[in-house]
Amino acid sequence: MINDKNSKKIVDIIQDFSRRHSLFVLAYGTGCGAIEIPPTMTSRYDAERFGIRGMATPRQADLLLITGYLASKTLKRVIRAYEQMQDPKYVIGFGSCTINGGMYWDSYNTIKILSDYIPVDVYINGCMPRPEAVITGFIELQNLIKEGKANGAQKYKENLEWYRENQKKVIKDWKMPDYNW
Amino acid sequence: MTDTILDKEQKLVQLLEQTFKKLSGKVVRQRRVTVSVEKELVPSVLSYAKSQLGYIHLSHMSCVDWPENNNFEIIYILWSPADKVQLFIKTLINRENPEIDNVDMIWKHANTYEREIREMYGIQFNGLVGAQEFILEDWDDMPPMRRDFDTVEYVDDNYTFRPGREDAGDVREEIVKRSGEDIPDFAKKYSRD
Ligand code: SF4
Repeated sequence: MINDKNSKKIVDIIQDFSRRHSLFVLAYGTGCGAIEIPPTMTSRYDAERFGIRGMATPRQADLLLITGYLASKTLKRVIRAYEQMQDPKYVIGFGSCTINGGMYWDSYNTIKILSDYIPVDVYINGCMPRPEAVITGFIELQNLIKEGKANGAQKYKENLEWYRENQKKVIKDWKMPDYNW
Repeated sequence: MTDTILDKEQKLVQLLEQTFKKLSGKVVRQRRVTVSVEKELVPSVLSYAKSQLGYIHLSHMSCVDWPENNNFEIIYILWSPADKVQLFIKTLINRENPEIDNVDMIWKHANTYEREIREMYGIQFNGLVGAQEFILEDWDDMPPMRRDFDTVEYVDDNYTFRPGREDAGDVREEIVKRSGEDIPDFAKKYSRD
């Protein structure tokens, strides 16, 4: 193996391998799409064979699933949860609502484009996506990790100003701690 | 035959009309009665219905906006477990400066409904105790459930539309074009036109 800067070190390969086979999902559902998570996790579709399982707290989780519409009130909690998660961390936007507002395209209290507020690695469309689609989304994310392209967290750090500006447009009364990374 | 079926409903309307002069009632159908009262009378009608007629349960309290007539309509839905009749008590209040008496001393849970109506329609309940903010957070626009509140305009000001989803238009043609798949037969019968 040529050991220049651009080639992956063996350590990275091992790291990425273990990362993509132990995606721990923060057990947090926002919209109606959360109802597809129990069948995905339980015996019929058994997502655990891909190393995907639920986790109780943001600090232990790698993956934040936004399962559907996100009310502007919930956005605050999601941002806090996301910022508390440890690197490496990934976000999956789940359902049409996260992509373009879905059936809530003209609702006064749900956000329309999730990736304006937090970086999204993979979108799964459908209203609501079936467990097969969900698992396809997970595999897509695993492939991105393998190729080193799932770098949403880094994007967030670099463009924090831009994200903050968008977030503050919705959360007018910003009373949140500023985390240091 | 119908008389005997609607017996208890008619008796209820009679009783209420005798007790309160400015009240008009109507039997809608079996087990459903509506009465309209002035807003000053609402607390007394409610407490009368609760203590004397057995309408001990407030099932729901709701509000309808009528910008055409410049009115809000507040509706109290009561239920009597003994009669098994639903009693709708309706009152109209003016849309400018809307206010009405608070009734949470009759039913405690009316407090929750009233706070919701206050937030969503901007109606003041005299003497209502409870935080001003109920479901919405940092809301600084017109109460959102009023019918003259333009949600699309609000969304345009506060969020960004995804290009292509600025209206509820049918996007199936576009999907067919991009994906190269056909619209399945079962989906063809649904149309927005
Ligand atoms: S995409 Fe459909 S199922 Fe998912 S949250 Fe939106 S409305 Fe609900």
